[in-house]
Amino acid sequence: MMPQTEGNLFALVPLLLFMALMLAIGVWVRRGRGFGEDFVQQYFIGNRRLGGFVLAMTAIFLVLGIFGKRVALLSREFHAVTVVDIIRARFESNGLAMLAALVIVLFFCGTMTAQFVGGARLFAAATGYSYETGLVLFGLVVVLYTSIGGFRAVALTDTCCALMMMAGIVILLYYVLQAGGGYTAIIDGLHAAHPELFDPLSAGEMPVGLYLTQWILVGICTIALPQSVVRGISYRDTHSLHRAMLIGTVVVGFMNIGVNFTGILAHGVLDGPVSEYGSVDNIIPLTIARAIPPELVGLAILGPIAASISTISGLLIVASSAIVKDVYLAHARAKGRTVGAQTLSRLSVLTTAALGGLVFLIALTPPSLIWIINMFAFGGLETAFFWMLLLGLYWRGANRLGALLSMAGGTLAYCAAQAAGFKVLGLHQITIGMTVSLALFLVGARLGAPTRAEVLDTFFPRAEEGTGGRR
Amino acid sequence: MTREEKYRQVRREAGATGVLLFAIILFWCAAGFGLAGVQGEVFGLPLWAVCGTVGVWLFAVAGVYVLVRGWFCDLSLEDEEQSRGGGAR
Repeated sequence: MMPQTEGNLFALVPLLLFMALMLAIGVWVRRGRGFGEDFVQQYFIGNRRLGGFVLAMTAIFLVLGIFGKRVALLSREFHAVTVVDIIRARFESNGLAMLAALVIVLFFCGTMTAQFVGGARLFAAATGYSYETGLVLFGLVVVLYTSIGGFRAVALTDTCCALMMMAGIVILLYYVLQAGGGYTAIIDGLHAAHPELFDPLSAGEMPVGLYLTQWILVGICTIALPQSVVRGISYRDTHSLHRAMLIGTVVVGFMNIGVNFTGILAHGVLDGPVSEYGSVDNIIPLTIARAIPPELVGLAILGPIAASISTISGLLIVASSAIVKDVYLAHARAKGRTVGAQTLSRLSVLTTAALGGLVFLIALTPPSLIWIINMFAFGGLETAFFWMLLLGLYWRGANRLGALLSMAGGTLAYCAAQAAGFKVLGLHQITIGMTVSLALFLVGARLGAPTRAEVLDTFFPRAEEGTGGRR
Repeated sequence: MTREEKYRQVRREAGATGVLLFAIILFWCAAGFGLAGVQGEVFGLPLWAVCGTVGVWLFAVAGVYVLVRGWFCDLSLEDEEQSRGGGAR
């Protein structure tokens, strides 16, 4: 069971080199481009300089096609840096903005911890070094380069990570095929041992309801995740966006199909029943440990670790921007205080580092509460932001009360259903969250005061045809 | 382009993206479940599995290409109008 690569130094070298490269990018971004006049804009969204290739690795066609240009145009109009900035402007509500920032920070911390733990466990299982070693090796470095380099470092390292992930999949696939005795042998073995895998519903293991909710949970609703929508604010021009949509679809498809297919072929390497290997989460680490020659293990784990760190850095910078920009700066502005550039720059870096450090500490001995938060995070974020962004940006009738009810009520309903294990028709709780959230939005839109005409005119410009111009 | 024209274009593009998503889901249903009963294998894998994964991926890439080339248009992200809310010349 335990891997045979105990204390294998080869396993450390590639990771050390990779993390050094990531750190170098963080420092280079800061030195090279510098953070001059408008620090917040440069630190949190890379001063709108992303080209097509960098952006592609981070978002898929759906979020960019539906929200990309919309938030790009609006953010320039309002000098917005975060998704919450846009929400604040659209609904003219500080309370709503604060709530949105809170939801982001809370759920992001849960997800980041889970990513830290996942990465460190994988490291420990595949290399034989301790969990803590792994956590320090990649965890601290992520926090460091994100704090130093800001969004631009996140975007650039994301690209490196995506390339690493693709390389990792190819390496793993190659050695799984070798260890399993070749492609034909593995497939023949599967036909004999697991005939159900060759049927779409997998003899009831894969019900239609699960397929349906997967389209919702990890498909359609992902367009509302704030860490994805914020990318729309950061690109240079529409040409980059178009390219990003195309490259993103190619890359994401490759990774999805590649890694799942490798998982299926891993049956050829791990041919016992799943229970023998603990949870499903152990499959890829154990496959790496078994199929890959010891001197290459270090290279092979870079793929999954790259996936972890690119997720963490992307969440960390958005969570930090929620605290600095959406809470602190908004509060200062409301009080009529101006914050100096130097203070702001120090504060942003410190907040990012402190938040990352906190998550790192939690990951050392994760309390059970963090798993609960993580379990709620993905669907919770979707429930909170989906209708608010979709209706808020494309429907004039969307108003403050609707948004507030939809965000608060929908998220609570989702979390409660999730906690109680309550399902309707056996479907994932995201369906409950989405339905409640939409219903509350419509109720609020009916009962609450409509949005002021000036705001509507900015968000939904109308042609001035003959009668009366702007109203 | 005036702000109003830009907004209309962006709205149209978002709608087209939604239509593409719908088309991809339909294709996925047809390829995954529609071909489930059809015999035939590609590299030892059932036809439905290959068409429902790699097939959907290729369909999506082609779809996004058509979307970006045919429906999306390049527009300046800066405000080209002189005065806010007016100047539709």
